[in-house]
Amino acid sequence: MPLENETPLIQTNELCRYFQQSADIQVKAVDGVSIDIQPGEFTAIIGPSGSGKTTLLHLIGGLDKPTSGDVFLSGKNIASLSPGELSDFRRDHIGFVFQAYNLIPVLSAEENIEYVMLLQGLDEKNRKQRVQETLKQVGLEDYANRRPNKLSGGQQQRVAVARAMASHPDIILADEPTANLDSKTGVALLDVMKELNETLGMTFVFSTHDEKIMKRASRLIHVVDGKIDRDEKRTP
Amino acid sequence: MLTLKLAIRNLLRNTRRTLLTVMLIGFSLTSLILTDALSLGMLDILIHSVTKNLVGEAQIHKPGYRENLDVDLYLSDTNTIQTSLDEDSSIAAYSERVIAGGMLSSSYNVGTGLMYGIDATSESNVTQLKDALVDGEYLTGKSGEIIIGNELADLLEISIGDRIVMTLSEANTGELAQALFRVSGVFHFGIAGIDKGIVFTNIGQARQTLGLADDQSHEIALRFNDANVAVTEQSAVFTELNQGELETLSWMKLNPSIASIIELSGLSSLIIGSILFVLAGLGVINSMFMSIYERIYEFGVAKAIGTTPRRLVTLIMTEAFLIGLVSCIAGGVLAFVLGSYAQEHGVMLGEFEVSGIAIDNRILLRIETYQFVQYPIYVICLTLLAAIYPARFAAKIEPTEALQRSL
Repeated sequence: MPLENETPLIQTNELCRYFQQSADIQVKAVDGVSIDIQPGEFTAIIGPSGSGKTTLLHLIGGLDKPTSGDVFLSGKNIASLSPGELSDFRRDHIGFVFQAYNLIPVLSAEENIEYVMLLQGLDEKNRKQRVQETLKQVGLEDYANRRPNKLSGGQQQRVAVARAMASHPDIILADEPTANLDSKTGVALLDVMKELNETLGMTFVFSTHDEKIMKRASRLIHVVDGKIDRDEKRTP
Repeated sequence: MLTLKLAIRNLLRNTRRTLLTVMLIGFSLTSLILTDALSLGMLDILIHSVTKNLVGEAQIHKPGYRENLDVDLYLSDTNTIQTSLDEDSSIAAYSERVIAGGMLSSSYNVGTGLMYGIDATSESNVTQLKDALVDGEYLTGKSGEIIIGNELADLLEISIGDRIVMTLSEANTGELAQALFRVSGVFHFGIAGIDKGIVFTNIGQARQTLGLADDQSHEIALRFNDANVAVTEQSAVFTELNQGELETLSWMKLNPSIASIIELSGLSSLIIGSILFVLAGLGVINSMFMSIYERIYEFGVAKAIGTTPRRLVTLIMTEAFLIGLVSCIAGGVLAFVLGSYAQEHGVMLGEFEVSGIAIDNRILLRIETYQFVQYPIYVICLTLLAAIYPARFAAKIEPTEALQRSL
C-alpha cells in the first residue's frame, strides 16, 4: 500500500549515526548524509567494509534511530516515530531483503510470503492471490510448500524478495542480498529484481560491494567513512 | 491463528528441549500432587489414630473436668443427654465413660493408670478398642472383667486370667475404694500413653466402685455420621450441649497438638509446592531464554518486517502456555496413575510416630479433584509468569543489533 507519491520517495537531511564505542572513542558510522531517491530507482549504496552502507540502509528503513538528521519516506519523517509506529510503518511501506537466513524457518515459502500480509490484516483471498503472483514472479511456484531448510540459498533469497514485494511496499531495501550466494545464483536473483524494477516500477535500494549489482544499478552512491563520496547516475 | 501456528512449530523445532522442559514442569506438577496426596493420606491416618483410638470425634464433659480429670466433676442426668444425642441426626454413635485414676497392683508389681468404665457395645461403635485386642476377649458385661494395655501388662507382669486390684478414690467422698478384676483381654493401640496407662472395665462396676449413680458419668465420646462435622462443628451438640454444665469439644480442640500438626502440614505443603514452583519456573525461564537466544536473528528479521513487540510477546507467551498445558496434561496423567495406585495399595514409609501416635507403615494416598484443577492452573500461571521476562527481552530486541548477531 504505497503512500501518496510525492517526489522524492526518500529524502535524508544531514543524517548522522554515531556509536559511542568507549568513553573517548566515537565512531561516526553515518556522518551528515543527505540524499534523495526517486520512485523507480535501482540504486546501489556501495563502499568498502565498515564504510557505513548497512547503517545508512537501516536508517532509511527505520530499523535504527539517527543520532541527528531526518529521514523522509514519501514525505513522512520516520525518524520521529515511536518503536510501535515504526513497526507498523515498516510493515506497510518498506520491504526488506537481508544478507541471508532472513526467512522464518518454521514457515513454508508461501507462509513466509503471506506473513507480512497477515500482519497487515489482509483478507485470505487477497493474500493467497498475491502469494501466487509473487511466487510466479520470482519463479518459485513449485516450491510454495517447502520450508527454508529445503530451499537453496538462491531460492531462499527469491522467497525473501517475494515476501518483500508481496506487501506492496513503497520501496525494497536489500542489504547485500547476493553476499552469501554463488555468482550464478546471485546473477539470477538480480535478474529477478531488475525485472520487477523495470516491469512493476518497484524502487530498490541495495547496500553492496558486488560488482554485478553495481553494473545493473541505475545509480551508485559511494560511501566512504560514513559520508557520501560520490553519487553517480548511470545507464546500466 | 498465525501466532498459534508459529508457537506450535517453534516448540516442535527443538523437540528435545521442549520435551525436557515439559518433563521438568510435568514432574514438578506430579510431585506436587503426590506430595499433597501423601500429606492428606498421613493426615487421614493421624486423624484416624486420634479419633478411633480413644478420643472419638468429640467429647462431652463437665466444664473443668479435663483440666485434672477430677473424679467429682461428673455429668449428671446423662439420660437426658442421651435423649438429645439420640435425636441428633448428625450423631452416628456415642459411648458413655466413667473415668478415674488409681493404683493398679498385681501379685508382682504396682503401677498407676486410668480406669475407663465403658459400655462394651457402645464403645465398639465409637472407638477401635475391640479391634485393638491382641490377646483374650473383649468385655462381655460380666463383673470383674478388665482389659489392659500390653505395656501395662508387661509392667505388672500379668497375663490373661491373672488378678489385678485397682485402688482409687470414690467420687464425692474421696474415700479409698478397691476393686478386684481378672484380666480378660490385652490390647495394643500403638500409643504409649494408652497402652501403658489405661484399663477398661464395665461401666456398671466402675460406677459401683466410684459410688456413682446409673445416670452419672465423666465423659461421653461421640462419633458423627460425617467426620467433617467435628472440624466444622456444624452440629447441635456444639451449641445446645455446650453450655451451662456441659462442655462439648471436637477432637481438634481436645488434641491441639494434632490440630497444629494439621495446620503445619498445610504450611509444609505450601513450602514444598513453592520450592517445586520455583524450580519449574527457573526451568521455564532457562528454556525460554535458550530458545530466544537461538532465535535472536529471527526476531530481528521479524521485527524488521513489521512484527510488533506486542506480537512477539504474545508469541513467546503462547509458547509458554502451550508448554504449560502439555506439561500439565502429562504431569496430571502421571500423577493420576501413580496416585490412584498408591491410593489403592498405599506406600511403605516404615513405622514412625507423630505426637505420640504410631503411624502405620503403609500410607494410602488421598487423591482429590482439586489437585487436578487448582495445581495445573497454578502451574500454567507460573509458566506464563516465568515467560514474561524472556518475552519482554525478546520484545525489546533491537532489529539492528539482532541482525548483526552471527548465526
